[in-house]
Amino acid sequence: MNRPLKSLLYWLAMAPLVVLIVFPYAVMLSTALKPQDEIFVFDPQWLPSRLMWSNFVAMWHEIDFGRALANSLIVSGTSVLLCLAVAVPAGYGMARFRFPGQSGYRLFLLVTQMLSPIVLILGIFRMMAQLGFVDQPIALILAYGAFNMAFATWMLQSYFATIPIELEEAAWIDGATWWQSLRMVFLPLAVPALAVTAILTFVNTWNEFVLALTLLRSQDSYTLTIRIYSLVGAAYRINWDHVMAATLLATLPVAVIFAWLQRYMVRGLSLGAVK
Amino acid sequence: MRRKQNFLPWLMIGPSLALAFWIIGYPIYDVVMAALHEVNRFGKLRDFVGAGNFETLAADPIFWASFWRTLLWTVAVVGGTIVLSVPIAIILDDDFIGRGLMRVIVMLPWAVSLTMTAIVWRWSLHGQYGMVNETLKDLGLLDQSIEWLARAERAFPIEIAIGILVSIPFTTTVFLGGLSSLPGDIYEAARIDGASAWQRFTNLTLPLLRPFINIALVLNMIHVFNSFPIIWVLTQGDPANGTDILVTYLYKLAFRYGRIGDASAMSLVMFAVLLIFTLIYARMAMRERPEEVG
Repeated sequence: MNRPLKSLLYWLAMAPLVVLIVFPYAVMLSTALKPQDEIFVFDPQWLPSRLMWSNFVAMWHEIDFGRALANSLIVSGTSVLLCLAVAVPAGYGMARFRFPGQSGYRLFLLVTQMLSPIVLILGIFRMMAQLGFVDQPIALILAYGAFNMAFATWMLQSYFATIPIELEEAAWIDGATWWQSLRMVFLPLAVPALAVTAILTFVNTWNEFVLALTLLRSQDSYTLTIRIYSLVGAAYRINWDHVMAATLLATLPVAVIFAWLQRYMVRGLSLGAVK
Repeated sequence: MRRKQNFLPWLMIGPSLALAFWIIGYPIYDVVMAALHEVNRFGKLRDFVGAGNFETLAADPIFWASFWRTLLWTVAVVGGTIVLSVPIAIILDDDFIGRGLMRVIVMLPWAVSLTMTAIVWRWSLHGQYGMVNETLKDLGLLDQSIEWLARAERAFPIEIAIGILVSIPFTTTVFLGGLSSLPGDIYEAARIDGASAWQRFTNLTLPLLRPFINIALVLNMIHVFNSFPIIWVLTQGDPANGTDILVTYLYKLAFRYGRIGDASAMSLVMFAVLLIFTLIYARMAMRERPEEVG
């Protein structure tokens, strides 16, 4: 079969899936840019009569998008730092040493990774309530740190294992202490792995739903995801143009970053079992 | 090369253990305690009741309906995802015009949070103003608008379909990794021996993909079993608990109905199920790469 014909057949075969995937984006864009009187009609059109960029401005003020954005940045940023602070040494230890109890630790990591927060949500809420952390960023930061730790450790371990230990050994022979070789030889080489892990963890926490829904109680502390959900969760009449504008704005930057890095994601999600 | 050390590595994994034992371990203990006691609406532990909460749960028809629906949900979403992802991965692995673009499109749903995806679909499926009705009417497939999410028999299959749609990217990525590791020369040999495309698929590709299919199967089962946002955003498990799965019913028991003891018992049941899945996965993954076990 020649190439153009094969390409055509492939695109035809994939057409239903492509339509289903692109459809929500088209809806988002179309609704976000429509004047309100063209949204709530019985025969809605795809194309707005005029592009209402002002929807974004109105939405920003009405739902206090900036505040929710800041909350999300603080929570996700700090969770990533916490997560890396515990996962970097753990990943290094796993990649560089064999030690008694290592397979037990692997299993332990695996269980914490597979355990979705939803299963323990009641216990987590009760603990955070006892600590007085409910409705505060610290509750989410601790929970996100703990639940993303295993993923980050797998990612880092699998990358660290590819950095030859001979480089560090050469530094030791030259008289460097272990700490010096770590700082001057190992860490610079590990920067790309740290960056990828940090970004993917950031995206995970940015998109998280059930913990934020449970642990945040007041609108002032909502993350973006929960703020937008609250627009469709409670209100009797939903301003779908604002919701779609907010969804688009909250989704797009993260989606671009993720699309760029998703191929690395499999590594951490599948415990290095998939090459 | 890895060196043997007894003490230093434990110092390194120490912080991660401490964090997990605190944030994940303590809630497990708390849930166990709550499951074994009578708990009032405000979360205060009362008398020890042993298996009492489990018995209440076992006598709750909504729990059982959610249980069977979770089974259907998991089997349908995971099954559908795997069956669709194998041919998708094979197409994406082949060389054709526009492959780069198609790869980006197929991966898109993975990049967006489930919550946002579900919100957009809920709006798209809106009975009066939604674009799904409008598009189907324009195409002549529908005479009048349908309230897609108003009835469970209609809403649940839609939720399954969306579940499949968002699970395809991860699964396809796993399969693409598998396909790229298959040796090309055996295909050449099979072609020379006169094997048809279908024979090459069933006798070469599928068996060679087997380990990757197994891993995608178990990982997806765990993800889908735990998946909360799609159903919560689209229908909140309603109408009349008609689309509740275990995770959404658990959330309602705990935070809406105030049945803390029952919810804790349910948490433990689900924890046990997940533990079984995880151990199956651990055995599979460690068999694939024995040197990684350590």
